[in-house]
Amino acid sequence: MEDLTRLALKTAEELGATYAEARFQSDIRESIVLKNGVPEVSVIEELKGFNVRAVFKKSLGFSSTNIISKRTAKDAARRAVNIAKAASNAIRKGVSMNEEKLGEGKVEIKPRIRFDHIDLDSKIQLLKEADKAAEQSANEAKAKLPARMFTLDTITTEKIIVNSDGAHISSIIPRAALAAFLTAYHPQKGSAQRFFNLGEAAGWEAVEKWNLPKLLGEEAQSLSKTLMEAHSPLEGEMDVVLGPEVVGIVCHESCGHPAEADRILGREAAQAGETYLNMDSLGMRVGSSVVNVVDDPTLPGSFGFYMYDEEGVKAGKRVLIKEGVANEFLHNRETASVFGVQSNAASRSVAYDREPIIRMANTFLEPGDYSKEELIEGVKHGVYIKNFMEWNIDDRRFHERYVGLEAYRIENGEPKERVRNPVLEITTVGLWSAMDAVGKDLEFQAAYCGKGDPMQGIPVWTGGPHARLRKIRLGGVQA
Amino acid sequence: MKWEEIPSHLVELGIKFGATDVAANLIELDQTMIRFSNNEVTASKNFHEVMINVFVMIEKQRAGSTFSILSSKALERAMKKLVEMAKVSPPADVYAPLPKGPFKYDPALLRSPRVSSDPNELVNYVREAIGGASKSGAKRVAGSLTLTNASMVLETSSQASAVQRRSSLEMSVRAFVSEVASGHSLSIAQSKRDFEPAEAGRRAGEIAKMALNPREGQSGSYTALLGPMVFAHFVNQVGVQSSAFMVDAGQSFLIDKLDSRVASDKFTLIDDPTLMGTYGMRAFDDEGVPTKRNIIVEKGILKTYLHNSTTAKKFGAETTANAGLIMPTPWNLVVEPGEKPFEETLSEIDDGIYVTNNWYLRYQNYQKGDFSTIPRDGMFQIKNGQIANPVRDLRISDNMLKIFQNVRELSKERLWIKWWEVPIPTLAPYAIVEDLNFTKSTM
Repeated sequence: MEDLTRLALKTAEELGATYAEARFQSDIRESIVLKNGVPEVSVIEELKGFNVRAVFKKSLGFSSTNIISKRTAKDAARRAVNIAKAASNAIRKGVSMNEEKLGEGKVEIKPRIRFDHIDLDSKIQLLKEADKAAEQSANEAKAKLPARMFTLDTITTEKIIVNSDGAHISSIIPRAALAAFLTAYHPQKGSAQRFFNLGEAAGWEAVEKWNLPKLLGEEAQSLSKTLMEAHSPLEGEMDVVLGPEVVGIVCHESCGHPAEADRILGREAAQAGETYLNMDSLGMRVGSSVVNVVDDPTLPGSFGFYMYDEEGVKAGKRVLIKEGVANEFLHNRETASVFGVQSNAASRSVAYDREPIIRMANTFLEPGDYSKEELIEGVKHGVYIKNFMEWNIDDRRFHERYVGLEAYRIENGEPKERVRNPVLEITTVGLWSAMDAVGKDLEFQAAYCGKGDPMQGIPVWTGGPHARLRKIRLGGVQA
Repeated sequence: MKWEEIPSHLVELGIKFGATDVAANLIELDQTMIRFSNNEVTASKNFHEVMINVFVMIEKQRAGSTFSILSSKALERAMKKLVEMAKVSPPADVYAPLPKGPFKYDPALLRSPRVSSDPNELVNYVREAIGGASKSGAKRVAGSLTLTNASMVLETSSQASAVQRRSSLEMSVRAFVSEVASGHSLSIAQSKRDFEPAEAGRRAGEIAKMALNPREGQSGSYTALLGPMVFAHFVNQVGVQSSAFMVDAGQSFLIDKLDSRVASDKFTLIDDPTLMGTYGMRAFDDEGVPTKRNIIVEKGILKTYLHNSTTAKKFGAETTANAGLIMPTPWNLVVEPGEKPFEETLSEIDDGIYVTNNWYLRYQNYQKGDFSTIPRDGMFQIKNGQIANPVRDLRISDNMLKIFQNVRELSKERLWIKWWEVPIPTLAPYAIVEDLNFTKSTM
């Protein structure tokens, strides 16, 4: 495959590309789906192919194919250059690739337990055991779980990246992922639903570590208790303690996305939108001094793990908000050239047939000094929102809404009864500015972040510790 | 072996290795996308791929696979592995053999005219869209143009055999007059004849111009006029959640609602892949069954879920020819129009809000239908039957069943909608919805 990527690169250069890159990518995914205790289907998906990106007279062309031969390698290069040529007279500023120190080498995560060492039956039995544990826990809480769906994926991604500026990276990354959906029901109480993902860059050992029967049992119990016990939603002004799952989604939506330089430049305007930040926003205060949000692709075992991005730039930690001040944007080589900075290796693509664009990896609030108990002790009247279900944010990343699922009223420093669906509907700066204390714990959740056209759902972690917000006006009652 | 012979070869191999049922399809895709922003092209992309999808059953044991073109030996290995995988899979709850063919397909549905993929012509479409928006007053224009030529060869072990060739053009264009004043519009078509990129640009630009200098909106319950992009987004929720798979998974507000009222009597929704010349036209489903016109909701009453043969058996129904081998899916949604033109529906609203577009729709509870979504692009107050000032920063926070039950009027005019947020092509009118709940950030 190395030869073919080189051949594609050489062909693009011969056809006049001032910059060219070729990437081979193979994603082998095995999925099993258990719905309401019944195996739906077992699926093997082998997506293999390569692509070429070429710049011709500042016009960017991309082509991909899954037909792998010398002829198609040359053809892909020709298609990328030709389409860039055709569009070159509809270009004003166009594209330049910033000069960077590019990597050469191999990155490989060796699984401790290979996926093919676990047979299909064992995987399905594990899900069935987890399903039973979930049902049992719900029964104990006097609810039913009429709808359950679990999807367990094991994925191995292999890439070879070469470009005309000298990058040469190969990587093999295994990933395990679980998507779980639960519905708790009681004839008098109605229903409550919970969706969550788990994911790591690791072998089967990750799935063993998750202890799915225990986890699903706990999740089902909590969901059932929320359904059976939660009191009317709270309204009015109060302090709010957010759990790591909520802090994680806040970091992703209202810090990571606004900091994407392609949004700042308007490149995603017709799809995922723009941002309230602009090219001059670095140095602007967006939150209190306890807020430090980072994005780090290099966290070992993380769902968004990589060491080099698709343009060959070495990855490292990006500090997006430092002590409450906008500190760094996410860049690829194209936006770095416009901003006059160095790329911080945010160029990612989800498959062989997708253009690399600016993405987050693992975005989280850096821990502070407080225990969870200390955060709650400091609240006279408030709510603890442990996790959430509904959320969204406007396409300038300024007006957001998170609706709690498992949540508790806090009175005089102590958690009290469960409350139903507290609504945090707030602005980005309003939320970050209200944060007065940050926990010392740190937890991550897996997610697939959607962006790009065609859409690319890319693996990320979102995370953080518990954190406290002061004087928040909770949103209104749900319809 | 020629590509088009691969599906029948895979079916033979599957049966040879012990499968009771095999469905194999091969899809050849040639797609070009031109993306643009700030009035210039930012990336031009061409995708060429041949993908094979195979599904096997040994009665209740099932397995599926997706892979690229392989050598004859590798195809044989892949099929052997797939059947072995089915053999070790625990049984599902029902076995529905693949529907028995051979089937007769409407020849006119099997082929749409191939659309030229000349890159220069495509760049001209982009220029037309930018030009249309700029003439309406847009300062910045962004969007994407997508051209698709695809063919699908399907074979099943139950003697279904068919080839479908499909082509389409899509223009999605968003125009900006200021950072917070924008408009979005679309043109989707099966052929050049119905493709109107300049008109899409013009419409987007018009909305953007009207949206200049928006005031902060006030939360509350309003009579809402939903533009076709918003209503199509909501209608997609009904279409997708009418899939029997979603109902079974608890991810539908239509559970236990068959033959019940789920919308006002103004609302009739049809899935019609047999509509000639339209973007979502399709002759057969993934089990090879000839597609048909299915009325999902008739005058507010839910008439059917969408089925493949497996979900049909589970639900004691007939397939609706909407397979998806795992999950039934709608193909081409059509909302029956109302009787009054847009201007007249607008004139009937004394105090309301007109929403032209929305995005990011998420549920608190699918089964109940509680959700929220965010209007984007032009949003306007309506006063005394006329569009008044633009407003901003509101969120629709409501319940999907309540919204459809509160549909008071639909317009005569309809627009085909499909874009980033609306995956199923939908012919949607403007809709007047009573008592729509709008919320906003509290700080």
